[in-house]
Amino acid sequence: MRTNPLWMNVWNYLVSKADFWGSMLASHFMLVVWSSCIVIILGVPLGLLISRNKRLRDAVLGVIGVLYTIPILALFGFLIPLMGIGLKPALIALSIYGIMPVIRNTCVGIEQVSASFKEAADGMGANRAQILFRVELPLAFPVIFAGIRTAIVMSFSVATYAVFIGAAGMGTIILIGMRTYNEGMLVSGTVLLALTTVLVDRLLGWLEKGVQKKFGMVEP
Amino acid sequence: MVEAIEVELQSVSKFYGEDKVVDAVSLHVNQGEIFVLIGPSGCGKTTTLKMINQLIPHTSGRILVRGKDVTELDPVELRRSIGYVIQYIGLLPHLTIRDNITFVLQLKKYNKKMQRERAMELIETVGLPVSYLDRHPRELSGGQQQRVGVARALAADPEILLMDEPFGAVDPITREQLQLELLRLQETIKKTIIFVTHDMQEAFKVGDRIGIMRGGRLVTIGTAMDIVRERDEFIRNFIGQGAIFSALDTIPAARAIIDDLPIVQEGAALDDDVLSLTGDWENIFIVDGQRRCLGYISLSEIKGQRKIDREKVTACPPPCRPGDSLKKVIEEMLWGNRAWLPVVSEEGYFLGIVSFQSCASLLVG
Ligand SMILES: Nc1ncnc2c1ncn2[C@@H]1O[C@H](COP(=O)(O)OP(=O)(O)OP(=O)(O)O)[C@@H](O)[C@H]1O
Ligand SMILES: [Mg+2]
Repeated sequence: MRTNPLWMNVWNYLVSKADFWGSMLASHFMLVVWSSCIVIILGVPLGLLISRNKRLRDAVLGVIGVLYTIPILALFGFLIPLMGIGLKPALIALSIYGIMPVIRNTCVGIEQVSASFKEAADGMGANRAQILFRVELPLAFPVIFAGIRTAIVMSFSVATYAVFIGAAGMGTIILIGMRTYNEGMLVSGTVLLALTTVLVDRLLGWLEKGVQKKFGMVEP
Repeated sequence: MVEAIEVELQSVSKFYGEDKVVDAVSLHVNQGEIFVLIGPSGCGKTTTLKMINQLIPHTSGRILVRGKDVTELDPVELRRSIGYVIQYIGLLPHLTIRDNITFVLQLKKYNKKMQRERAMELIETVGLPVSYLDRHPRELSGGQQQRVGVARALAADPEILLMDEPFGAVDPITREQLQLELLRLQETIKKTIIFVTHDMQEAFKVGDRIGIMRGGRLVTIGTAMDIVRERDEFIRNFIGQGAIFSALDTIPAARAIIDDLPIVQEGAALDDDVLSLTGDWENIFIVDGQRRCLGYISLSEIKGQRKIDREKVTACPPPCRPGDSLKKVIEEMLWGNRAWLPVVSEEGYFLGIVSFQSCASLLVG
C-alpha cells in the first residue's frame, strides 16, 4: 500500500532518523579508520620486509592472494568460531582484505625504485636506514599511497558486511531496511553509503595527486 | 712541490665468478691532478672507479686512499669523504635541487643554515641561477642536471672526486663548455679527480694524465703527448687519426716560450753590452718601462747607431697568452703568415715569443 512517493519516504527517513543513521555512519567510519590504521601499520613494514627477499615475497604474496579470493561471508564463517562476533572479528576481517593492496604496492613500489638512485645515495655515503628513509620510501610513496587508497575505498564497501558479524555500520541500515520492507530506510542507507564512498575516494584521489606532486612524480 | 699520492691502486683485480672484469690494474693519482680513465664500453672503467669508494669490493690487490687501505676504513665514512658523480647523473627526483646538492651535508648532519649557504655557493660555482635551487631535477635540462651532479659531489668539499662520465648525456657544445668550466673550477679547487670517459677529445682536454683500459687491463698511462706517440696498434686505433692535433690542444703556449731574447728598454744606449746579448738573433726587441713590447728592429738597422730610431721599429704581430693552446698558437701563425708570435701575460708584460721552431722542438722532444 504505497502512500508516498519514494523520495518522500527517503526524505522522511533522513529527517526523522538522523540520530540513528548518523551513529551508524559514524560506526562505519570507525570500522574503516581502525582497519585502515591496522592495515597501514602492518602492511607497509611487511611489504618492505618481503621486498628484500625474493622467496619470502613470492610466498607472502601467494598466501595473501589466496586469502583475497575467499568471499567475505566465508571469512566470517572462519572467524566466528574462533573469535565470536562483534567489533574485533569485523576489524580483523576488514584488515585481511585491506592489507593485500598495501603489502603488494609497498613491495612493488620499493622494487621499482631505480638502482641508480640507491647507488647515488650509497656512493654519497648514506647508510642503510638513510637509503630507506631518504630514497626508497619517498620514491615508492606514490605507489604505496595508491595501495592505501585502494585499501580504504575497498574497506568502505566491505565494512557494509560487518553487520553479519555483529558490528554496526551502514550495513545495519540496509539490512534492517530489507528485512522490514522499509523502502525509505533501505534507499537512504544505500544512497548515503554510495555518496560517502565516492566522496572518500575523491578526497583520497585528490590527496594522491598532491602526494605525487610533492614527490616530484608528475608535472605540477 | 712534492706531489702527494692521494689514490693508489696496487695490482687490483675484480672477478665476477670466473669473469675477470678488472685485471691487475696499478695506478696512482697525485694530489690536485685530473686522471682520466678511458676505454671502450665494458672495459671496466666504472668498476675500477667504484672499487675506489668500495661501492664494489675488489677481489685482490690493494687500494690506498690518502695512504690508508680502503678495506680498513668504514665504507660509509670513506664515501662521505669522496665526491662521486655517478654515470647517468642520478639526481634524486623527489628532492629539490637544493636538497640534492646538500644531500651529503644532510647525511653528515650539518646545520640547516650552513646547508643553505653551501647550496647557494655551489649553484653559483657551477654557473646556474640561485632560483634553480627550488626546482626539481625534471625541470632542468640534461646539461643543467650534470652541473648539479658536479655541485652535489663538491658539497662536502671532498679532496677526491670520482666522476663517471659526468658530461656523458649532453650535446657536444654543452659538453665542451662543461669541460672548460671544470678546468676553470679546478684551478681554484685543486681537487684530486679521477674522471671516466670514453671520449678521447674529452680525455685530452681535461686529463693531466690519461690511462687507457682494454678488457679490464690498463694498457698505458701518460700525458696526452705520451699517448699520441704510442706505437701500440690498439692504442693508435683507439685514439684515432688526428689525435695528435687534439693533443696539441692540451699543451699551453707557456711550455714553448723562448725567453732568452735580446731585449732593450726604450731609450737605453746601444753599447757593446747590449749588442753582445744578441747572439745569433737577427732582431732585437724593445720594451717600455712597464715591460710592454713596443716592437722589434733588425740588427742591421742599428749598426753603428747609438740610439734606436723609433721610425725603424716594426710592431709585433698580435700577441698570444701563455695559457693559449699550442694548437691555437700554430693556427694563429698560419693565419697571420708569421713564423713567430709574442707571448704577453694578462698584465701585458712581454714574456717572450713562440715560434714554429720552439713548438716543433717541444713536440719532437
Ligand atoms: N654485477 C656484475 N656481474 C657480472 N659482470 C658484471 C657486473 N657488473 C659489471 N659487469 C661486467 O663488467 C664489465 C665492466 O663493466 P663496467 O661497468 O666497469 O664497464 P665500463 O667500462 O664502465 O663501460 P661503459 O663505458 O659502458 O660504462 C662489463 O663487461 C660488465 O658486463
Ligand atoms: Mg661505465
